[in-house]
Amino acid sequence: MTIREFSRYGMAWTIALSILAAVAQPAHAMQVEELIHHIDELWRGETSRANMTMTVKTRRYERSMTLEAWSRGKEYSLVVIREPVKDRGIATLKVIGNIWNYLPKINRVTKVPSSMMSGSWMGSHFTNDDLVKESTYEDDYNSSITFEGKRDGKLIYEISSLPKPNAAVVWGKVVMEIDQQTLAPYRARYFDEEGALIRTLSFDQDRTIDGRAVPMRLSLQPEDKPEESTVILYQDIRFGVPLEAGFFSLQNLQKRR
Amino acid sequence: MHNLGAASPFGRLFILLFIAWRNIWRNPVRSVLTIAALVGGLIMVILYASLLEGMTRQMVQYATEVTTGHLQIHRQAFIDDQDLYATLPWPYLERIERDFPTIHIAPRLYAAGLASSATTSTGVLIKAVDPEREAEVTTTLSHVRSGEVNLGIADTTSTGLVRYNVVVGAQLAKNMKLSPGSELVLVTQAADGSIGNNLYRVAAVLRPLEPNFDRMGVLMSIKAYRQLMYLDSGFHELAIKLEDIDALPEVQAALDAEMQTLQVAQPLDKLGGLAVVRNWRQLTPAISDMLQLSRSMLLLIGLIVVGLASLGMLNTMLMAVHERAHEFGILLCLGMKRRWLLLMVLLESFFLALISAVVGSVLGTLLARYLEEHGIDFSASMPDGYDWAGMVFEPVMKGYLEPGQIVEACLLMFAVTFVASLIPAWRSVRLKPAEVLR
Repeated sequence: MTIREFSRYGMAWTIALSILAAVAQPAHAMQVEELIHHIDELWRGETSRANMTMTVKTRRYERSMTLEAWSRGKEYSLVVIREPVKDRGIATLKVIGNIWNYLPKINRVTKVPSSMMSGSWMGSHFTNDDLVKESTYEDDYNSSITFEGKRDGKLIYEISSLPKPNAAVVWGKVVMEIDQQTLAPYRARYFDEEGALIRTLSFDQDRTIDGRAVPMRLSLQPEDKPEESTVILYQDIRFGVPLEAGFFSLQNLQKRR
Repeated sequence: MHNLGAASPFGRLFILLFIAWRNIWRNPVRSVLTIAALVGGLIMVILYASLLEGMTRQMVQYATEVTTGHLQIHRQAFIDDQDLYATLPWPYLERIERDFPTIHIAPRLYAAGLASSATTSTGVLIKAVDPEREAEVTTTLSHVRSGEVNLGIADTTSTGLVRYNVVVGAQLAKNMKLSPGSELVLVTQAADGSIGNNLYRVAAVLRPLEPNFDRMGVLMSIKAYRQLMYLDSGFHELAIKLEDIDALPEVQAALDAEMQTLQVAQPLDKLGGLAVVRNWRQLTPAISDMLQLSRSMLLLIGLIVVGLASLGMLNTMLMAVHERAHEFGILLCLGMKRRWLLLMVLLESFFLALISAVVGSVLGTLLARYLEEHGIDFSASMPDGYDWAGMVFEPVMKGYLEPGQIVEACLLMFAVTFVASLIPAWRSVRLKPAEVLR
């Protein structure tokens, strides 16, 4: 799915999941609409379950978290922290544009208000907004293939996406590169309205799952803090797990700890 | 009498004064009206000056007493972008306390967080203080609207979780529907990167202090802050109150030197930058700019008001001179010197101004006194006061009368009326006796 999902700037697992959806197609030149549409269609209705570690490196500290995540389509996701012990059981639920956190220590569910959407998610370089932003690629961006050919020893499509005039998006431009062979994303770069690069999301360590090439590692690199990064590494990921929408409920949020 | 007058310049001047005084009362209604206009103008200027002075005094008081203190010390990175890690070590506090026995100091810590009540969530500014030290430096903790300020432990939940008391800003309490006794959840990113979260009990709601705190301030004890934030390295801000405000420049310089010494003795990490000592003028530039501005504003408004009133006097004097052209002609024929004539007209307007100054000052003082006592009360329409230049003011606007300002207002009036009276005086001097006597 990727492209669409990238537009929401990637809550990591969502992106990763979306990537999974990008089925390895035989390489042939594709129209950008076709590519996006194809990926969108692949994404819908997809469910997943994954285990991953997220390593956040800042100037002041470096910490790793083990996370378990479930998702259903682009509307529903649930992430629970397994490690470290201090944060164990803290869960984030996303249901159609809303985010809730469950905090086991105080046994309370708190809703993340829209004013906090640009805040960091769980101390990482991803924002709450990354998690919640509904896919707007097809609706909110004008995309075109701006490069097609060999780069870094890989045949890639480079898709540049500019927001439509009235779109409510934060980025001025998103440029992503996709492997022509596997249709797995390779790199996504996010620019602000002045055209300055803000952050780069890199994908590597592809693994083939259900016939799809899935990058197992996502590295988010903020441009203004070269010494900082957030890296998400998937231990395992499964698709097509039976998950009803009711699984993503506030009740389940508290139960899942 | 004329002979007497010719005797000496003083005698002549006395006669002129006498004539001028008599001349004013030849048309009492006109003179009284002129005086009334000038008196009105003067009263306006005095009242305006008194209100402005009252406001600036309130402003300075608010700027220093309520939250800021006279001086503050921060690390540069905290000033730049509220860097959570840019703390000053606790030993600094003890050293400053020991080396400066005549000042009061209060350490503070800050953090951004997410507050949730049963119904709603919002971003908040967490501020941690040492209640005892804070009370010596600012009046923050005494501006209570409801509840009782207590930053200690409220209770322990059934699961063994300790709930601390917090105090919240007025607008935040309104937005989140908090009242004393409400539960508040705070979630934030702790200094070690973990998710800091805890339950709190709202102990009190504060009255408006400054817009930022009112909208998103949550105040807690430093102990509670440490349990939430896992930040033990030091404090972000040191607010300082001097016993003698006049010693501000010297104390600021001495503290600057002290910080230099301390930074040599116990170096700070590079990332947080150096320690910076700033006074309240530097901390609240908007207010110190306002103070500057209000003086020039006062002069300008005074000029306009007195200028308008002087137009009335100009008119009166022109009329008076015009009416008495014949008389002036005779005087000139009798050998009266033109400069004496000029002086006489000027003296007439001087008397008008003098009477106005006396009456205006007395009435203005009485009214200003009343304003000082009672103020102008807006509390019906603005119960929370109003905010101006980033400060929250009481809804009662009180005047403050400085005697010097009355003198200045009178001098201003004399100056303006003198300029205005030059025109009729000049016209009387230019009279041609032959023409006016015809």
